Order: sequence, then structure tokens, then C-alpha cells
Amino acid sequence: MTTQFRYIGKHRRTKEDPRFVTGRGRYAADIALPGTKHVALVASPHPSARIVSISTDAALAAPGVLTVLTGDEFCARTDPLYVGVDAPKVTRYALARGVVRYAGEWVAAVVADTRALAEDAAELVEVEYESLPFVIDPEAALAPGTHLIHPDHGTNVLYRRKFVWGPVEEAFAKADHQLAFRATWGRSSTVPIETFGVTARWDPVAELLDVWASIQMPKYPDQTARALRLPGNAVRVHFDVDVGGSYGVKRGIKHTVLVGYLAKKLGVPVRLIEDRLENMRGGDMHGPDRFFDMQVAFDRDGTIRGMKMRAVDDVGAYAGRSPLQLGKPVGAICGPYQIHAIEYEPTSVMTNKTPQEAVRGFGQSPTNFAIERAMDRVARQLGMDRIELRRKNLIRRDQFPYLIPSGSSYDSGDYHTVLDKALEASGYPALVRMRDEARLAGRLAGIGVATCLEPSGGNASFELLFNPKNETTTWMDSCLVRVDLSGSITGVMGTSSSGQGHETLVSTVVGEILERDPATIRVIHADSLNALPSNSPVGSRMAIMLGGAAAGAARKIRDALVAIAAHNFECSPEDLEYRDGNVGIKGAPSKMLSWDQLVEIAHRKFHKMPPGLDPGLQAQFVWEVPTGGGVPTQDGRVQMYPCYAFEAHVVYVEIDPDTGKPSIRKYVCGHDCGVMISPDIVHGMTYGGIAHGIGASLYEKFAYTEDGQLASGTFMDYLIPSSMEVPDIHIVDHCTPSPLTTFGQKGSGEAGYLGAPAAIANAINDALDPLGASIDTLPMSHLALWETITKATKM
Amino acid sequence: MKAAPFEYVRAGSIGEACEVLQREGDAVKVVAGGQSLIPMMAMRLVRPGWLLDINEIAALKFVAMDKDAVRIGACTRQSTVERDQELAARVPLLRQALAWVGHIQTRNRGTIGGSIVHADPCAELPLVARVLGARMVLRSTAAARTVEADAFFSGPMMTATDANECLEEVQWPAWGERRTGSAFTEISNRHGDFAMVSAAAQLSLGDDGRCVRAAFGLGGMGQTPLAFPQLAQRLVGTRLEDEIVKSVAHDAAAQSDPGSDLFATAAYRRHLAGVLAARVISAAHAQAGSKG
Repeated sequence: MTTQFRYIGKHRRTKEDPRFVTGRGRYAADIALPGTKHVALVASPHPSARIVSISTDAALAAPGVLTVLTGDEFCARTDPLYVGVDAPKVTRYALARGVVRYAGEWVAAVVADTRALAEDAAELVEVEYESLPFVIDPEAALAPGTHLIHPDHGTNVLYRRKFVWGPVEEAFAKADHQLAFRATWGRSSTVPIETFGVTARWDPVAELLDVWASIQMPKYPDQTARALRLPGNAVRVHFDVDVGGSYGVKRGIKHTVLVGYLAKKLGVPVRLIEDRLENMRGGDMHGPDRFFDMQVAFDRDGTIRGMKMRAVDDVGAYAGRSPLQLGKPVGAICGPYQIHAIEYEPTSVMTNKTPQEAVRGFGQSPTNFAIERAMDRVARQLGMDRIELRRKNLIRRDQFPYLIPSGSSYDSGDYHTVLDKALEASGYPALVRMRDEARLAGRLAGIGVATCLEPSGGNASFELLFNPKNETTTWMDSCLVRVDLSGSITGVMGTSSSGQGHETLVSTVVGEILERDPATIRVIHADSLNALPSNSPVGSRMAIMLGGAAAGAARKIRDALVAIAAHNFECSPEDLEYRDGNVGIKGAPSKMLSWDQLVEIAHRKFHKMPPGLDPGLQAQFVWEVPTGGGVPTQDGRVQMYPCYAFEAHVVYVEIDPDTGKPSIRKYVCGHDCGVMISPDIVHGMTYGGIAHGIGASLYEKFAYTEDGQLASGTFMDYLIPSSMEVPDIHIVDHCTPSPLTTFGQKGSGEAGYLGAPAAIANAINDALDPLGASIDTLPMSHLALWETITKATKM
Repeated sequence: MKAAPFEYVRAGSIGEACEVLQREGDAVKVVAGGQSLIPMMAMRLVRPGWLLDINEIAALKFVAMDKDAVRIGACTRQSTVERDQELAARVPLLRQALAWVGHIQTRNRGTIGGSIVHADPCAELPLVARVLGARMVLRSTAAARTVEADAFFSGPMMTATDANECLEEVQWPAWGERRTGSAFTEISNRHGDFAMVSAAAQLSLGDDGRCVRAAFGLGGMGQTPLAFPQLAQRLVGTRLEDEIVKSVAHDAAAQSDPGSDLFATAAYRRHLAGVLAARVISAAHAQAGSKG
């Protein structure tokens, strides 16, 4: 498939790497405006308390201090932040007003000449608190009579609904067997090297707020303006700031509203760059914290008849879009399997913890983990091979497009082949022998397999599904392509990038269509006032959406060039041939207008332009998500994302039985995201995604103490795997093109992460199987593994 | 994460450093590699009035081979020591332990003296110092004195160093026995993290294969790194059979009183201590035996 392309799918130097590798990235902390003042924050030490009084006198008297802002002033003069579900009383501002709801919540902001002076003064802000009851455990938060995080809301439940898709009770009644278990996903996140940072400057004459931020957020300029009670065109977000890692979490809306307010109030540029402690505790960037009560009905031949999934997700003390992370998995609720009857009960609950933010996969990886644990448990109960069970239930390649019970149609796939390729690359029979020999030698060894989906092409269907008052049915993206007088091409995109390689994407796609070398094509980021309607690089959508938009714009340029040639040759466009940017008459090589000649006509020679064609040479293309625009049915069926990438993981682990220490000895990932525009970028994403999944499954957790304090607020305790923990990873590509996209591409920004935790959990459980032990709680720390082993061997 | 205000002074000589310590006493923190101190200052967990920088003092950077010991200047980088082949032959346990100290990058800055004076009960070098019976030379304006490791480490992050004193050098005993073996291991969640439990052992065999000298210890199991000279003595005269090794390791674990934290309960630590102590004694035995 890829051979038909000139640039797509080829190993070419990316546009971004030279800048990053040579240290020429321009990040939020590199924005140094003259006269910038710096913010430090006063954070609540209590998980739940009433603010009795705040004394700022000593802080204000400290050297270099401009102001100390508290919630009373700030909340009166700004509007609360957006809530993703229908919970208007769950108000949220950057600064607490009256009460604090988690340890680390911001209570006051100090602005001073330097960050160090601001921190000195922040220590002098005296806050008197009166402790209130608090709740950390999500099940306790659901219990009647418990402490309410937001009393005006009347409950700690932000969202709950029971969806029934298909004949669930019938499936359970007729199935030969059932099983039930709980799978628990620990509170982890994507923790970027660069914390969130933002600089804002208010121009009182132009009445314009300029914002430079480390941002990856849909509707960020709009939400900033609304919260600051400014017109949308009074906020200009500069999207050309490099972002040092995100994968979902770089939302920073509360930071931005705070800094925007301060910049406007003080009339000077103001900057807030979170330090690591603020980022981990008060940056509102924790990921899903979720348990699943799973029930599966299945026949003795391994056919899965039905599944019931109750998912309880602890979003912490406030809601942004986080409850919607229970909604996105509706689009792939049965995984890659033919399961016709599904009950899904998502419950979003608040506790006195740091708020949750979007994390890579938007809730899909925890769901995949639960489904894949269920598959292994079914196989174990039946005494059936786990791979055979999967083969039996996987959707076959002749069944696409495949409509799942919750209303989404899967576009394409060849799951059996990808699984087979991954098994082959792993040397599976030898791997089994290795495991069995290790077991004979007294070691704990296991093989894990997981087959998972990555929904891609993000639209907003879950917003409607989870909030009837929300009628967002478009999540368009756009691109502007411009050819200047010299014949050079520039692509303009309308959002920031957070490491996904969009400049490579746009230049490759435009180069492909226009048959011009992508290395010569420049790609820039418009600011938000210049940008065409765009969302942001979330939901594994940009290869599809920005790639489609860039291709659409480039096609318009190409059509214009052909039209100019046709006008000058006085022939029909059908008689012409476009090659390398030149346009000539088919079969008559001498009759040709070169790229340079065509560009000059477009820019200078109006007399040679065909009627109706604008002079100059630029084109824009706004693209709606393929299959998008639908609204949910009464029973909650809706088409979510358009495209479905597939991954099959095969992992070999050993656990030291005496210490509980796991080690991953082999890692293979079979991956099919359709046509890869840049294979190197796809592979890079996948390597990183697997490393991230290793973290979520074995190491990373935002743990809380019984007294409501974050116990893992630094990199000493929040354990991101290093190169010492991540093994060699072997990726096996496969390509099933999507019929819905420009080149057959699907998304891949979440690749690896969506299956790695499931595969590793299955491998660990396979290793524990000879002991009759199992573990279904992530992360599976050394301690947890040792305790599991000890408990089993003592029985 | 900006340090609270402090005065900074860079000493050009040991004498100059001692004068600052004499004058400012408790208010001073000495910085060398800064791999532990600077993050603690950035988090404002430590707030020195004065930061005394000894990085420019050449007299504190040396590795000297004496007859019975290797003397290492306090400000000698860990990576320098790690790459010293002669030292590796004389005090192999030190080299083995250094591989577990942080990462290559941190060892390029971190110093031998800094790790010893920081006295983290989980840290590798204090454990080796305890097991081998290293001697710390402490200098003040008035005099120098030598403190044995068992008296030096007085509690978590606490040592016998007086407020007016600066660690000048560490003397690591070199064993003369030909058939000497050593081993170091630890369990941490990730490589380079602070150990949940660490273990070190060094022992020598006679020509008949019997143990003639033994030392071992455990880190992360109490307020300071622990050595077990009496239990080690039980190994002497034996052929280090599995039963005696396990018994000694078990007793060492049982004698310890570790704490619990996020990553390890006391029970887990005690279990690991028994496992790791047995492993290092056996590994040291195997190494010594290979010098047949």
C-alpha cells in the first residue's frame, strides 16, 4: 500500500528533530518578556478545610512583591471554569474561596520580581484553616451520609448512568459460565519533563491579552476569554510555543486564567511556571483512578456472550473534562471482540484528591486493561489457551465495517493477522519453552498477550452522551497552504503541537499531493486570532484530521495550478498532467508550464489567470471528523471516533520469587494504524507508549496517605520507568488502510500505552498462575507482588 | 522550588573552609556534588544560613594507597573512584557499591565524602563504610580527629561530625588476604533509587576453603546502616554452607528493626534483608573461592 506514495510512509528526517536535538526548542520558559513578574502559590496543607482568614500583610511587605491575590477577589471578578458534565454547582476557580478541597489546592498567588522572591513571600502568607471531614476512598465517597466535596451539588457523584446495549440479561441467562472480578487501575498520569508554564501580557490600548503557554487543549483560547469575561478576540494564544511533553495533561486552564487576570490587573507581563511540587500536587494533572467490577458470560467453547462493566472513576475534588474519560471508551467498549450484549455503568465520583485531567487514551487504557484481564480469566476458567480464546472472539477482517453494540462502527482491521505477526516475531513456541524451563528451575515466569484497540480521529460524541445540554457535534480541524511568489510552500496549522511531529505531518502530506520535496516546505503555527477553526492534537486525531485538512488544502492548490495551465493552453484540465509541480499536456512533453511559471502567473499575471480564480496562491480546508456529527440515541448509542487502530502485545516477564521484583525480558508489539505517514514518528510514539504503560502497570502511582496527603509528589516517590526498566521493544508493523481517511491513515498517538498495561498484567498473572495466585490491581509494585506470592505460598 | 535565601562562600583551602565552619557553626552546610543537598534546599527542607562550597579545594580530591587502607579525599568524585583500577583491586566492595549509587550522571558530580556525611541509612557508601570499618578524618581549625564508622553514623542523616568540623578524608581498610571476595546488592523499585534494602559482604577464605575473615551488613534496615560483626564471626571457621549462611542472614534480619513506607513494609524489608544478606555472603564466597 505504502509503495504508491512518494513521501508518505518513508523514513525521512523529521522537521522538528533538528531543532530539538540541537537545543533550539522554544518552550514556555524561554519566553522572556521585558519586565516579566513571577507567580508563586500558597497551597493548602489540608485535604478539606474552611479558610477562616488570610493575612497577606507580611507577604506584601516582603522585598520585590507586587501583589498577593486571594480567592475572594479573584472569584468575584472571573467566571468559573468549564465543567464537562451537567454539574453547574461544582464550581472551580484557580484559587480556593472559603474552603479548600484537596491538599495542594491553591489558596493565594504571590507576584514578585523573581520566582525566588515570590516563594519567599508565599511563606509569609498566613492562612488560618479549620479542618473539615474529608474522603479519599471513592467507595467511601459513594456511601450515603459521607462528607460532600461540593455540598451545593448534593452528592459526590458527578455522573452515573447504566447503559444496556443488546440482550444482556438473556446472554447471562443462557451462557454456560460466568465469572466476576474487580480490576483496579492506579492513579497515574503522563508526567512530562516540562511542567505547565504560561506567560500573559495585557495590552491596555489594544485591549488584548497575549498568552504563551505549554498547551495541549481544545477550546483553550475560548475558555480563557470566557473565564476572564473578555470577548474571544481579546485573547491571543501563541501556538508556536514548543511543548515539552503532554499526552493529555497540558491543559493549564486554571493557571492561564489566574495569570491572565494578574497580567491585566498589574499591567505587566506575568509568568507562572509550575515547579515539580506544584505540578504533581496542585497542577490538576492526575489521570484516571478507576476500578471495574467486571462480569462476563461465556460458553464452554470460549464464545463471549455478554459483559457487564461497572466503572467507578475517582476524579478528585473538581471536574473539568475528566468525567468524560469514562465516556470515550464507549466507542470501543467491547474491545476488538464480537460481544453482542454489554452493560456499562460508568460512575464518576469526587473525593478530596487532586483533580483529574485527560491522559493518553482518555480512559481507554484502563478499560482495555479490564477487558483483557477478563479474557485471560475466561481462558483460565475454561482451561483454554488464551490466544485461541482471542482468535475465537476477535472480529474477523471480513466483518468490517463492524457495528458494536454501543453504536460505533469500526472502520477496518485484520486483527488475526496482526496477532499472528506479533506471535511470530516473539518466537512464541520458543518463548513458551523458555517460560516452562524457567518454571522447572523454580522461577516465576509468564507470558502476557493483549489485543487492544486505539480509537482515533477524536470527535466530541461523548460530550453529548454524558451531557444532554451539550450539543457539540463538530470537532473540525483545518489547514491553510500558501505558495509564495518564490514558489516556496508554507503550511499553517491552527493549534500547538506537543511533540507529535505535526510539522513533519503537514509537510509530508502537502509534499505528497503537490509532488514537492517536504524538506522545502515550512510549517508554522498560527496564533489563535489568525487560526482557522481547529481543535487540538488530542484523541489521536491529527494524522487523520490535520493530515486530511492539509491534503485538502494542497489539492485545491494543485487544482488551481491545473486550471491556470488549462486556461493558458486553452485546453480542458482532463488533457493535462500534473508532475512534480509542473503541468503539461498529456503526450506532449514540450507543452508544459513549470511550477515557477504557474506561480508567477498566479501572483503577478492576472491577465493570464482563468476567470473566477483569485490571484495569489493559497487555499484553506476545514475538515469535519469522518463519520462525525451524530447525536446519541435514547439508549445511548452513538458513533464515537471514526478509525480504530489495533495492537497485539506479547510480553515475557520473570518475577524473582524471593523479592517480588519483576523484570520484562521480551517485548513485542504488533501494530496496525493503517498507512503510516511517518513510520519513525509512529514507532517513537509506540515505544514511548509502551514505556508509559510499563510505568502504569508496575511503578507509577499518585498515592495518598490516610490523612489525605499526596505521598508521591516528587520523582523520588512517583516512579517513572527509566531506560534501566524499559526493555528492548520490537514493533511489527501491519497496514490495514482506513477507508475513511485521505491516505488510509489512522491515529497512533496513544499506541503502545493502550495495550501495554493489559499485556504486562496478563504476563505477571501468568507467572503467578502456578502458585494459584493473581493480582488485578495496578501498579503491581514489588511490595504488592511479594505480598501476593507470600500469601499464595503460605496457603 | 527555589532555595530560601542563604549566604554563599567558596573556600579555596581546607583551612579557609574550617574558618567558615568555626565562625558560622550550625548555620553552615557544606556543598560538594550537591546531589542530595541542593534538591533538599530547593524544596526548602534544608535552609542553611551559609552554603560552603568545597569544590575548588584540590587538597580534598585524591586517592592514596597506604599499606592497610586506601585514603580518599572527601571531595573526590564518585565516578573517579569507580574508575580507579588499583582501588578496585584493593577495596573491591567500594567499586561494587558505587555501581548502585544513583546514575552515571549523578556519580560524575556526587562525592565520596558527600555521601558519607549525608548519612542516609539507605545509602550505599555508608553501608560499605560500616561493613569495612572505615575511618573518617574530621578537620577543624584546631585539630583533626579520626572517627570509626560505628561511632560516626549516629542516626538518620546524622553523624558525629561537630558543627565546626569538615570531613577531610575517608580511610577504607584494604584486606590483605589473597582469597578475598566481596559482593553488594540491593532492591529498589528502579535502578538508582534509594534502596528498600541493601546488603554488603566481604570475606576471606583460607587455603582449606574455610572462612577466615568475614564482614557483612544491611542498609535501609534501621536508623543507620548496620554491620553484624558477631554474626559474621559465626561464619569464620565454616565452609559457608547454605544452612549457616541462611541462618546468619536470617538472624541479621531478625535483629533489625526497619520502618515502613510507601514502597516497603517492615515485614517486606525484614524478608528482603534475609534474602539479600544470604545472597551477598554466597556471592562473596563464590568470588573468594574463584581465587583458588
